[in-house]
Amino acid sequence: MGDIVVLVKASLNPELVRQAPDGSVDVRAIPLKISDIDRNAVEEAVKLKQKLGGKLVAISILTWGPVQARMKDLRLAVQEALAKGVDEAYVVADDSITPGDQVTTASAVKAVIERAGLKPDLILAGEATIDETTSQVPGRLARLLGYSYVSFARKLDVVDGKVIAERDLEDYIEVVEAPLPAVVSVTQEINEPRPPTLLQIRRAARKPIRQLKAGDLEGVTPPKRKILEMRVLQVKRKQVIIEGASLEEVADKLIDLLIQEGVLKL
Amino acid sequence: MAGVKALLVAYDPKDFPELAEWASEAGVQPVYLAVHEAAAKAGDYAAKLGARVYVAETSNPGSIAWAVEEVARREQAALVAGEAYRNLRDALSRVAAALEAPMATDATKAEVEGDSVIVERGFLSERAVARIQLPLPAVILFLTRFRRPSGEPSLGQGEILRLEPPEPREKRVEVREKPKGGVNLEEAEIIVGVGRGFKSKEDLKLAFELAELLGGQVGCTRPIAADLKWLSEDHWIGISGKRVSPKLYIAIGISGSPQHMSGVQGAKVIVAVNKDKAAPIFKQADYGVVADLYQFLPVLIKKLKERMGKA
Ligand SMILES: Cc1cc2nc3c(=O)[nH]c(=O)nc-3n(C[C@H](O)[C@H](O)[C@H](O)COP(=O)(O)OP(=O)(O)OC[C@H]3O[C@@H](n4cnc5c(N)ncnc54)[C@H](O)[C@@H]3O)c2cc1C
Ligand SMILES: Nc1ncnc2c1ncn2[C@@H]1O[C@H](COP(=O)(O)O)[C@@H](O)[C@H]1O
Repeated sequence: MGDIVVLVKASLNPELVRQAPDGSVDVRAIPLKISDIDRNAVEEAVKLKQKLGGKLVAISILTWGPVQARMKDLRLAVQEALAKGVDEAYVVADDSITPGDQVTTASAVKAVIERAGLKPDLILAGEATIDETTSQVPGRLARLLGYSYVSFARKLDVVDGKVIAERDLEDYIEVVEAPLPAVVSVTQEINEPRPPTLLQIRRAARKPIRQLKAGDLEGVTPPKRKILEMRVLQVKRKQVIIEGASLEEVADKLIDLLIQEGVLKL
Repeated sequence: MAGVKALLVAYDPKDFPELAEWASEAGVQPVYLAVHEAAAKAGDYAAKLGARVYVAETSNPGSIAWAVEEVARREQAALVAGEAYRNLRDALSRVAAALEAPMATDATKAEVEGDSVIVERGFLSERAVARIQLPLPAVILFLTRFRRPSGEPSLGQGEILRLEPPEPREKRVEVREKPKGGVNLEEAEIIVGVGRGFKSKEDLKLAFELAELLGGQVGCTRPIAADLKWLSEDHWIGISGKRVSPKLYIAIGISGSPQHMSGVQGAKVIVAVNKDKAAPIFKQADYGVVADLYQFLPVLIKKLKERMGKA
């Protein structure tokens, strides 16, 4: 078995959305964190490495700049993958390609694979990120590399040079087989990611994180998409906590309020 | 002046009138490709769309990608658009790479302006909305059911052309239908939402009892449907499930993740029951009850019954 690559994005954390005075999203004030489903991808990659052998490499392309302000979050995301059993990591951080888009990301991942001389048989990714939720980087990458592509896998195995996966679609599940090399995107249901232990985290500090710039790579496509405007959606909710001496009293108050609102008729 | 040529990919028959109406509004010159279940209805629609309708009878994303590339090339289409089914996310991401084109998914709006297209879509798990500009050629996937068409198209007779995609690398070896629960959350006026605060499938009967009493339906978070499988997936609400707009949404044992809450933004009133007073859902609810659902729901049900004269 050749190498296994897992893709990890340091995504804007949607739970910490920050708003500028004019109502736009204050992107620079929002911290980055590892995109939730990439945790599932890492977990699955570690499992497959244990079964198949080979080297497990994480690749992360920094989408949101400026690099200086983001390096700490980017390293934390990648270190989590290293702590969970990834052997080494490559990160691309360059302000000339931030804010990046999916065209940039896929081309940069391919460029890193070539530059590092990796020969991955399998590339794992998440089904979608928490900031952009586009589900397109893995499919783009598969096409650029000429690999098989199996998306939305909620069960995965590699047997005799073939990927066997259950794809989770809207109305049905389908089992597919595809020859290696392959890109696979996994769903949140594929496993239950365990947080790394303290010992794993300490050991990971010695694993290499290799940092590259766009100039170190060939064939990185600059972003094509332009963000014209980003507005925070106002959550205009009353946020009233109903209190009372007993649960009976609370229930009565709630029923009264819902009747007043006109959403409940008894 | 003829507008931009757009290849519209229909996956479900319902996509045809929606995409057709968008095309006429956007002033693009459409040609269609029908795949999956839309393929069987291509004949009916060719008679109404007044445009070429290519047909590829396949549900395999590798084959769909081949067909889209083939038609885009033959027709010199500068724009490829469809709706955001998982198989089209897969197929069109491959096509976008082949065309070196930017791609926007889950678009709610798209307008062609000169040699680019301006798209509106959710951002940050739909906590925000972004307007983005994609230079042509570009690929767009609209949210499924992104618009309610005013009726069936009546644009005259079109032409059907059949395609035979070659065998893809990825082969289907088995299919299993998913169970359906027969709920219709999009129409419901009251929805009781259940989350991981419930400890077992049996305990959901508390939520069903409440929903029945209120004449509402039961919805759930992703883990309840997709992971634990306590309810069928038509109950699943959120960014990757259903978007609902009831008058009243009662969220029970739900933490309030952005991915779930994006599905209930359209609710008039949101009530949250959660035992953790720091749960993020309380910031996104109109009325909050900080309590253990196992203690509070029986009391609420009892009170409702009393006041309805059913006690
Ligand atoms: C790309 C992506 C897409 C996603 N799409 C969706 C989607 O469409 N829909 C969706 O729902 N999620 C989605 N998710 C998952 C989402 O991030 C959350 O993990 C999920 O919504 C959490 O579900 P929950 O609130 O039921 O569980 P939890 O977050 O575990 O919350 C359980 C809550 O129950 C409370 N609780 C526990 N016991 C009790 C009790 N006895 N009484 C009262 N309260 C109690 C706890 O305090 C807690 O707040 C998506 C995630 C990603 C990354
Ligand atoms: N900037 C990035 N760096 C590394 N991997 C990424 C990046 N963006 C996306 N990915 C991978 O592609 C998956 C799908 O992302 P997306 O297409 O943006 O929804 C993610 O879960 C990651 O595994």
